[in-house]
Amino acid sequence: MKKKFVYKVDKCLGCKSCEIACAVAHSTSGDLFNAVNEFDALSPRKKVYASSGKNYPVSCKQCDEPQCVSACMSGALAVDPKEKNVLYDETRCVGCWMCVMACPYGAIKPDKKSKKTVRCDQCKDKDEPQCLKACPTKAILWTSS
Amino acid sequence: MKQILIIGNSAAGISCAEAIREYDQTSKIVMLSDEDTPSYYRCLISYYLAGDVKKNNLMYKPQKFYSDKNIELVLNKKVIRVNTKKNRVSCEDKSQYDYDILVIASGARAHIPDIKGVRKKSVFVFRSLKDIKEIESLLPITKTACVLGGGLVGIKAAYALRRRNVEVKVLVKSNQILSQVLDAEAASLVQKRLEENGIEILLGQDADEIIGEGDIRAVKITSGKIFGCSLVVLGKGVEPAVDCVEESDIKVNYGIVGNEFLQSSVPNVFTAGDVCESLDICRGKNAVNAIWPVAVEQGRCAGLNISGHATVYPGSFGMNSTDFFGLPVVSLGLHRIEKDDQGLEECKVFDAAQGTYKKIIIRGDRIVGAIFVGAIGSSGIFTRLIKEQVDISSLRDKLLEDSFGYPDISGLIQEKEQSYV
Ligand SMILES: Cc1cc2nc3c(=O)[nH]c(=O)nc-3n(C[C@H](O)[C@H](O)[C@H](O)COP(=O)(O)OP(=O)(O)OC[C@H]3O[C@@H](n4cnc5c(N)ncnc54)[C@H](O)[C@@H]3O)c2cc1C
Repeated sequence: MKKKFVYKVDKCLGCKSCEIACAVAHSTSGDLFNAVNEFDALSPRKKVYASSGKNYPVSCKQCDEPQCVSACMSGALAVDPKEKNVLYDETRCVGCWMCVMACPYGAIKPDKKSKKTVRCDQCKDKDEPQCLKACPTKAILWTSS
Repeated sequence: MKQILIIGNSAAGISCAEAIREYDQTSKIVMLSDEDTPSYYRCLISYYLAGDVKKNNLMYKPQKFYSDKNIELVLNKKVIRVNTKKNRVSCEDKSQYDYDILVIASGARAHIPDIKGVRKKSVFVFRSLKDIKEIESLLPITKTACVLGGGLVGIKAAYALRRRNVEVKVLVKSNQILSQVLDAEAASLVQKRLEENGIEILLGQDADEIIGEGDIRAVKITSGKIFGCSLVVLGKGVEPAVDCVEESDIKVNYGIVGNEFLQSSVPNVFTAGDVCESLDICRGKNAVNAIWPVAVEQGRCAGLNISGHATVYPGSFGMNSTDFFGLPVVSLGLHRIEKDDQGLEECKVFDAAQGTYKKIIIRGDRIVGAIFVGAIGSSGIFTRLIKEQVDISSLRDKLLEDSFGYPDISGLIQEKEQSYV
């Protein structure tokens, strides 16, 4: 079942713990202590934006009609026929940035170093997204709608 | 049984067939393609030539797709005539196909410029896998190449050849590269990056004649100067592939004219993709936006309408993104203000230290164009602002700030689903 993030804006302090946890989770070494040495490779897939005095974490929203998938011209992005979530096959990404240009939330970023796009994968290889665990105020919810 | 015939087995045709099959399992669907290969990601052919993409990652829909969806695919079938009275198409090999509904998704063809010698051997267009394979077969004996045209396809061809260690010169008629998608400032940043990576660019140079016999070629430009090379690639733009409907009563302007349901002037004939001319949101009039996402969207919309799910096509606009040797670039909608454009204004920021450039073009309180060079992270939000024609009067000061993000627009747009509570 597809799961999506919901954020309690009033609880978000803008501390960016989620960004750090995300960057670490997607680093080669996987822990903060060593991840700081991978400076260039650190690219969080979640970013906290401040607007009108409030904080909003932004990452892939697993849209029901994902624009990134129709824009992808290399076959790297597809909708899982069963779960309906967006699948990303990094080996097919050519770094054309079509998905970056198409994402209505600005949630997909170009990683110039790897020439691949980086996007939230909901920490698919872990039990749950690491941003969720890292949030000190429980402002991030991960729910199946 | 109803027979749906689709001309073209690429982005638009396939997405149309897929959409039809979501609701209609019984009609017969036949797809005709004049190519000899199954479908492939056309936009990847330059990456394939460059060696960045392997053959198996180039292929789009496998045979299984057609068998699973009960679609009959016929390759090597070139439609040469459409008879809308008899609801029948005729092919080059004299075979004929009847239809109840016809979809013309024949895409675009490379424009062949009117230059002497253009039909010579070793002069190639850059549109199909066949073109690329022919170019590739000559690479072992190719040291130098000339690309005519500084558009996206020409530059991508130059990039691919350069990656294969060919010395490349790009001859550009106008005084900037990418004049169809970028303004002069953005183009000069891209040009610098290309030159730093060994691609030679000659602006304001128009080819006059391609000369030479055997394997030796040279391009003579209007000033009389001659550039020697062993291979010439034509990157002089594309044109909608409308030949097969020319004698029919299907209305063709520049492309086949599609209405808000992507129906042509003949009600049981639909059109989608690079061949289709339909509403352009930014220009406020019909245009052909020959890009992959538009072909997919239009194919889908036509397919939904064919399967009885009336769906209005909201219109499209040009959007291009590319990476030039590590310099990401995005162009949306209008890219410059022409002299006769009334009521448009431009805001731009150029950060010399970062090497980034951002520009937006506004009509009234709506964005109708944008360019991003070097920093493209927020470009998707601009795509949305353009697509939904959002009133941006309250955002004017923020739009070009580095901190600009989705939360700044969330109060101005309608979401089906709330992710902030
Ligand atoms: C080198 C290159 C790079 C590109 N890069 C990008 C990019 O980065 N981003 C982007 O958005 N777009 C890009 N494009 C454009 C993109 O490929 C097209 O917009 C897209 O392929 C259009 O899909 P389509 O289905 O409308 O037409 P096409 O892909 O052109 O397919 C039409 C098919 O119909 C066939 N056909 C034509 N006439 C007939 C006939 N009479 N009978 C039978 N078959 C016929 C053609 O041979 C073709 O197979 C690129 C194109 C090229 C060439």
